[in-house]
Amino acid sequence: MKIPIEFTLNGQKVRTEVEPNELLLNLLREKFGYTGPKYVCGIGECGACTVLLDGEPVLSCLTLAVDVDGHEVTTVEGLAKSRELTLVQKALIEEAGVQCGYCTPGFVIMIDKLLKENPNPTEEEIRDYIRGNLCRCTGYVNIVKAAMKAAEELRKGTTKVAEISKE
Amino acid sequence: MEEPKHIFIGKKTIRKDGIPKVTGTLKFSSDIYVPGMLVGRVFKSPYAFADVKRIDTSEAERMGAVVITPDDVPDKIFNPRLVSIFEVTYKDYRVLTKHPRYLGDAIAAVAAPTEEAAQRALEAIKVEFERVYEPILDPFEAMSPSAPLIHKRILKGDEWIDVKNNVGCTLEYSEGDVDKALKEADVVLERRFRTNRRYHMQLEPKTSVCIPHSDGSITIYSTTQTIHNTRILISQIFDIPMSKINVVKVPIGGSFGSSIQINPVVPISVALCLKARKPVKISMTREEDIYDHAAYQMHFKIRAGAKSDGTLIAGELENIMDIGAHQIQAYPLLGTALGWFVSLYKWKNIRYVGKAVYTNKVPTCAFRGYGAPQVSWAVETLIDEMAEELGIDPVEFRLKNYVGKGDIFWGQGPTVKSIIRSDGVPELLQRGKELIGWERRRPPSEKTGRYRRGIGVGRSFHTSGAGGPISGETIDYTGAILKLNEDGTIDYITALQDHGGGTLDAHVKIIAEELGVPPDLINLVWSDTQTTLYDVCTHASRGTYVGGGAAVQAARELKNKIFNYAIRVLNKAVNQDMLELGYDKELGQAVVYVRDNPQMRITLKDLATIAWQRNWGTISTTVTYRSKAAPPSFTVYFVEVEVDTYTGKVRPVKVIAGADIGTVINPDYAAGQLHGGFAQGWGMATLEDTIYDPRTGELTNKGFITDYKILTAPDMPKLDDFQVIFAHTYEPTGPHGAKGLGEAALNSVAGAVANAIYNAIGVRFYELPITPERILEALKKKGR
Amino acid sequence: MTQVNIRPSRHNLYNTHIIPVRFEYFAPSSLEEALELLNKYGSEAKVLAGGTDLLVKMKMRVVEPKYVINIKKLKELSYIRDEGGEVRIGALTKWRELERSDVIMKYFPALYDAVKAMGGTQIRNMATIGGNLCNASPAADSAPPLMVLEARLILASREGEREVPITQFFKGPGKTVMRPDELLKEIIIPKPEPGTGSAFIKVARTAMDLAKISAATAVKVEDGRIKFARIAIGSAAPTPVRAWKTEEALKGKPFTPEVIRENVKLVETEISPIDDVRSTAFYRREVSKVIVEDALILSHERVVKGWMK
Repeated sequence: MKIPIEFTLNGQKVRTEVEPNELLLNLLREKFGYTGPKYVCGIGECGACTVLLDGEPVLSCLTLAVDVDGHEVTTVEGLAKSRELTLVQKALIEEAGVQCGYCTPGFVIMIDKLLKENPNPTEEEIRDYIRGNLCRCTGYVNIVKAAMKAAEELRKGTTKVAEISKE
Repeated sequence: MEEPKHIFIGKKTIRKDGIPKVTGTLKFSSDIYVPGMLVGRVFKSPYAFADVKRIDTSEAERMGAVVITPDDVPDKIFNPRLVSIFEVTYKDYRVLTKHPRYLGDAIAAVAAPTEEAAQRALEAIKVEFERVYEPILDPFEAMSPSAPLIHKRILKGDEWIDVKNNVGCTLEYSEGDVDKALKEADVVLERRFRTNRRYHMQLEPKTSVCIPHSDGSITIYSTTQTIHNTRILISQIFDIPMSKINVVKVPIGGSFGSSIQINPVVPISVALCLKARKPVKISMTREEDIYDHAAYQMHFKIRAGAKSDGTLIAGELENIMDIGAHQIQAYPLLGTALGWFVSLYKWKNIRYVGKAVYTNKVPTCAFRGYGAPQVSWAVETLIDEMAEELGIDPVEFRLKNYVGKGDIFWGQGPTVKSIIRSDGVPELLQRGKELIGWERRRPPSEKTGRYRRGIGVGRSFHTSGAGGPISGETIDYTGAILKLNEDGTIDYITALQDHGGGTLDAHVKIIAEELGVPPDLINLVWSDTQTTLYDVCTHASRGTYVGGGAAVQAARELKNKIFNYAIRVLNKAVNQDMLELGYDKELGQAVVYVRDNPQMRITLKDLATIAWQRNWGTISTTVTYRSKAAPPSFTVYFVEVEVDTYTGKVRPVKVIAGADIGTVINPDYAAGQLHGGFAQGWGMATLEDTIYDPRTGELTNKGFITDYKILTAPDMPKLDDFQVIFAHTYEPTGPHGAKGLGEAALNSVAGAVANAIYNAIGVRFYELPITPERILEALKKKGR
Repeated sequence: MTQVNIRPSRHNLYNTHIIPVRFEYFAPSSLEEALELLNKYGSEAKVLAGGTDLLVKMKMRVVEPKYVINIKKLKELSYIRDEGGEVRIGALTKWRELERSDVIMKYFPALYDAVKAMGGTQIRNMATIGGNLCNASPAADSAPPLMVLEARLILASREGEREVPITQFFKGPGKTVMRPDELLKEIIIPKPEPGTGSAFIKVARTAMDLAKISAATAVKVEDGRIKFARIAIGSAAPTPVRAWKTEEALKGKPFTPEVIRENVKLVETEISPIDDVRSTAFYRREVSKVIVEDALILSHERVVKGWMK
């Protein structure tokens, strides 16, 4: 029995029909082509499928698609406006916080949200906030560095990033 | 040798796949969706050791699914990893099997339009079993003469061989007279060690997408470290000419060795695709992936002897490898395990027995370090003990006996030998000592109280590739194509895969350095097998060293061709030897100029444009390259830990990660390798293992990572407490003096951690992981 | 070769890509409607709240409900109300809301510790306190603190409501006293009498894990003597348990490290830990004493030194 739903996806109103057992993660990836959110564990252990639901980070692998009816969903693809990267995205590239890149979308969403909640986080607060996101490449070192750098930029008042600096 | 000045090498640059990765737009193989695509699911054996009688697929087919059984796939036996030459390649694998040898062996597979439909069809398959046997999970039990044979016969090359005592392959070696030396030794230690059976936990589960074309050809996108070996193996299994198979290089979401072989989903997806004549994608679930691959689990017995002056004189290693149900090139590992052992310390008299033993467990494959983390942990534990026994400082003892500059090195085993020409070990040990505060280190007997701290050192190395002056038992060569575009920019085409470490960005910097073309004007082409030259695999920490070597050669050849054109423009009287190609900072581009008369010049951009307008033709080079050596990259870790003796919990307090990788090409990514290497090494030392139900052969975590933990961000040391140092060395055989790193970054961690734990609480552990449970039990036994 | 009778693995049924089971789906918009549905479908139905336990179990095929009743729309069950002598928490209140609540932090430090220790940020954004309790895992982080805080649970059904002390709620792993037609509606926590301190300590493999062993304590010391000490242990028995005997033994004794250490030895007689994939019975027995001692000292310290940041 398909259920019609309507929600805002990365700023656009969308309508579709879903089965009750359909997961938000699969809906985003298969129907809407947003493959930024990744399947890694399927059971809420890794954070790679994180999306924002009404601005709060949730796991799309444990969210029923019907549950987003009437709500707002943002994937990593929806964070950067037009061709500008967010401060977090820029910092992750510049601080080498990206290796294989498979966990990266989850970290981008989490750190972005953390800085909105708390623009002045301590290292401990950063680590704690992202503890539900697994990375097997970086040992989190450069990810945490990037988060601290993005926070610093934010405090300095940098709001927009036109392009990645060349060097 | 003097270290030359670099413009791009060693500078921080922005990785080329950075933006696609942070914006989530980069497509991994698991992100590929093709119109009309079917989703595949694999029927895995529910028993660890059984024989199939009958497979009933009728219901699944009635549901509209495409189903394959062992009868639908070629009757071919293979080894999923291609690296050894034919004569020493042991084969026991089939695409689908009627004789499952572990709980997870693929028996059948289905494909349907949706994952849910495929799941329903999978559940509709009925498999009747002829016999179900008690699983053999212990390698020593497996070797007993009364144990049933997991494989009765296997192929070695093209010859059938009978398996005896479940030993899949063996390697023995000796040098000098160990028995005599042990008699002459003042101190002899004999220890047994058992490593854990770790799971790679790479984030992207194994995936393959196979697309058929109307001309009979197929295209494959898969998680792989080697597109060319994927093509060769698929060609061999399915008898499809290689010219009709194209394997596309797509980014891989971590691997750490787990796609050094062609993952089983690849041939299965091909078989389904060929039957369905439709694109088929199989992307494993995490719980399937954990049944797909694991690290070699090793049981060692080491005997070592030293003179009272601190000179080692004998080393004996018995290496029983519990390889699980299948061989994924266990034979070369028997050689490298010996290689790691003999290239760590100058034992002088050596004896080795290595056996790869079948058990009914998940097949084991390479896992970052290819046995070196295991061997190094055991040896570094023993060396620490030996130093204590002799009353010599552990650092001094290592310096006295380690294999270094001028010594013969054969990390990749007895067939790949070379002389060490760069060695940063003394520098790393010295600086590491200072940074960790080695003088603070007190014996465990002086420590009291609930929280006890300890400092430990561990060292190791890895090779840079598996090349050598002569062709041995291992294949190792690569290729590179460089193309000067009509505007002076460069296309760089290679089959070599970047696992995420920034390997290909390192190549780009090397090319930039050679040609003076800035990295952002060099395009890194996402390529495939049909447009690249053969590359064996991104493994053995060879990406930067071997791939970079090919890049240097290609760039130099391209430069010659550029000069050839340049003399036509500059002045026909100018000799090509008088020309230079370099980066002009003001112009931000490469310029060809006359060495003694720099005013006589032309930008590469202008030259390329002229060549195009005057119909001179494209400048390009194609290089196939084998490196003549596989030099060691040394790593040294100093680790300080704190043990809560009431709960057994261990916390990393301070880490000094030292690496000798010759010239550092990507400093921030090189540091990243050490960060990640430490995290994995800490997991190996204290946390990770896969445990089997002794009755069923099922993993006790059932495949769910709820119970396969890896470190999270708060479990790591603070930024200020984690310091990376690089030795100031230059490798004469390397591209601009560089060596590899990926695996070396992990290899020495567990030894350092284990020695630090010992220094804190006075207990040696001979089994990994050193969990709080084991610590608490040991402390209880010791009386705290 | 030995042929044996081995139970086949069910792993071909697992599929965490999808929810591999079909069910009839209801999303009631009022509590009344939800209770009506529960009354009708009862034992064949599962209630979906945060989803972080139920959907995982469905993917693993641990449960295959015929009906799923999604109660996420029942916003009336999401609240934290300070009502003078007690605080009432709606069962659908998410962990992140508990984390952000000054009331929780101020009055119930042990619960606040548990909130901080549970899951990651995303899980806390999804999971509800009611779901954590109804899931009835022996390792549930909310249980030990609520037990020492003497919480009461309001269970609702079409027949009406009943109140159950949390100490009587759990019956075994995954089992509670709730009838199939009942829904957990509210958790009531009395504010502890002034001078009471509380704490929760969890020992796990990593910073993002289920408890290997956990303990919560609430203690009040008057004139240097223990007026009362309440102790609850998680992951050490089929359900979270109160350590009644230890509590009794501590009562009236001077609050000194020696006295505490001596008396917490009793804890191991009140638990029945097992070996499992996460830890060993030996470890749990040893460490339960350690963390009860630590938690008692921390609880009291919070009274002496102050707790709020």
